[in-house]
Amino acid sequence: MGDRQQIEEFEKTIRILRKKLARSEKDRKQIESDVAAKEALLKTVIHKLKTSKTTLEQRTQDLQDALDTMQLMQVQLVQSAKMSVLGQTTAGIAHEINNPIGFIYSNLDHLDEYIQDLFKLIHLYHHYLPSPPTQFYVDSEDIDIELIEEDIPQILQSMNRGTQRIRDIVLALRNFSRLHEAGYKAVDIHKSIDNILMLLQQKLSGIEVVKNYGELPLLHCSAGDLNQALINILNNAINAIAIKNGQTEGQLSDPSVITITTQYQSNQQVVVNFKDNGTGISPEIIDKVFDPFFTTQEIGQGIGLGLTIARQIIVDQHGGHIDIQSELGRGTEFLIRLSSQC
Amino acid sequence: MFKSVIGHSNDPDSLMAITEVINECTRSLAGIKPQAGILFTAVDFDHSLILQKIQDTFPGIALIGGTTNGEISSILEFQQDSLTLMLFASDTVEIQPGLGLNASKDPEQAAQQAISQAMAHSTAQPKLCLTFPESLTSSGVVILESLKRNLGENIPIIGGMTADDYAFEKTYQFFQDQVLSDAIPVLLFSGDLLISHGVASGWTPISPKSRITKAKDNVVYEIENQRALDFYQQYLGPETFAANYAIHALAIFDSQDRYYMRAPNSYDPDIGSVTFFADIPEQAIVQITDASREDILKASETSLQEAITHYPGTNPASLLLVSCAARRRILGTLTSQEYQLATTYLPQKLPCCGFYAYGEIAPLQQHSQSKFHNKTFVTLLLGDT
Repeated sequence: MGDRQQIEEFEKTIRILRKKLARSEKDRKQIESDVAAKEALLKTVIHKLKTSKTTLEQRTQDLQDALDTMQLMQVQLVQSAKMSVLGQTTAGIAHEINNPIGFIYSNLDHLDEYIQDLFKLIHLYHHYLPSPPTQFYVDSEDIDIELIEEDIPQILQSMNRGTQRIRDIVLALRNFSRLHEAGYKAVDIHKSIDNILMLLQQKLSGIEVVKNYGELPLLHCSAGDLNQALINILNNAINAIAIKNGQTEGQLSDPSVITITTQYQSNQQVVVNFKDNGTGISPEIIDKVFDPFFTTQEIGQGIGLGLTIARQIIVDQHGGHIDIQSELGRGTEFLIRLSSQC
Repeated sequence: MFKSVIGHSNDPDSLMAITEVINECTRSLAGIKPQAGILFTAVDFDHSLILQKIQDTFPGIALIGGTTNGEISSILEFQQDSLTLMLFASDTVEIQPGLGLNASKDPEQAAQQAISQAMAHSTAQPKLCLTFPESLTSSGVVILESLKRNLGENIPIIGGMTADDYAFEKTYQFFQDQVLSDAIPVLLFSGDLLISHGVASGWTPISPKSRITKAKDNVVYEIENQRALDFYQQYLGPETFAANYAIHALAIFDSQDRYYMRAPNSYDPDIGSVTFFADIPEQAIVQITDASREDILKASETSLQEAITHYPGTNPASLLLVSCAARRRILGTLTSQEYQLATTYLPQKLPCCGFYAYGEIAPLQQHSQSKFHNKTFVTLLLGDT
């Protein structure tokens, strides 16, 4: 290679190196910019993904809530239909029983009077005819007239109490069925509670019900729904006591008591308190007791909607409050507050 | 016989560079007269001088080409600021040039001009159309569709859009001794030509899905009711956006999982629109894309293998590579590996020429219609029977 050719080669190399130097500076700036842009892109994408994850979680929760509400409504619908049929049936039964029991009840006094007259007559016979024919002795030998005279008033008294009891039950049934008519009306809460207690009498066997009723105004509410809520809360108390009694069977324990206290407060709120000395609820699950389908009962014993429906009726439907306090092994207290104008 | 030769110089001096390239080509031709050629150069050469020198050496040669974002050859492999020339000589393959002008004003007319000029001298049905059209003034899709209408949809059109080293200011097209803008130069190949091709991308959608809410042709005004410019800036950062937006194409979904890509090439800060190399339909679901260097090189390999697998002959005579400018940008110092991959599958001496473009043109599969792409690597193998 000649000198000239070598110089030309050097010159070419210098030209290329100069160009590459300029290019390298341009590339360096470009790389810095590329890295910054990529960083920005990744940050934004990560942020967006986090946001969409949160949105997705919220949507999932909303869907779950909607599903719970739908299932609750479905159960309520079925429940409402059942209560409506039950209301109609009880109204029919009450009507059918009411008339015949009326005949019995209204005739018991007459019957008592007639029997007293008959005994008077017997006494007159004894007085004026001290020596009746021999056949009379033979025929009356098996009749202990003194015992009959002593027993009949007790029998009549017992019949009177029984028919009175039937009349009370029929009245409770009629009230119950009337309360399940749709719509808002002025309701005497005490009467509602008493009716419910009457209907739950069988389940309340062995449980003392203490009533501390205060002076309450009539409550403007959806009577049938409120009735349903009170039944659910009372049922819950009865079940809690039954579970406790099952656990402490054969042991000495306090008598079972449900205390119902009502009060009218100066802020025009009606307060109804149901307190039982049943099994109680542990602190871990107390926040869940109003959740749909939450139950501590065995499978098949309950579907976990009683308290959910009660809360929905009291809080959502009537704008009231329902609070719960409980101590495991000691019992539970439900505090219901309703505005008298709800 | 179908012969191709290659010359490549990285001398920044235009005269020195073209002299070196012509000398290389002449040596390789060994006295054979070339019919046609393709020229790819960096944007800051004296292009008129270069074209004149080629015409002086090979009078009447059918030459097309354009400016680039990087050049490839089997001599210097990947280079920037260089020029590379590939010449074709054949007694069995006919190669005719055509030129369409004013592509932005009337792409149909420009395509019709180019095809009819090339067809006027063809004696046989074309088997391949190479084209390196303007990228910045018109939509790549519109140009390609116009070419397809005039040429016939079943004839493969392969090539790439001219570039300007990421300045997005002005690109140039070459036709014979003319340096042009807004033009569509074509070369039509007919005769005993064998070809195969491949195309692959490697880009993947990364952002959450969004909807194009306002667009017309290749200008997007709003995405999710937000100005398209703001949408892009939100992802890429307000300062770094301008230098990087072209890399991050939009994936346009035409079904739940299938998408194609559209890269942006300019924006209007006043109205907040972003202009793309090709049309984007309104209401399309889109995602901003990104790519890793590994994915890009994997796609280059896929493209090469697709072409090699489907080559109908045994020994291809030349290899043309068209890669996207954004691939070069992301690959950085690994850019040379795109060509080096070719040498692992093909003979090292196989003459190869290529460039980094602002949009690629190739069918997705053999014997299917040509499509306009962004962010892809196009492989074309040429030979004769």
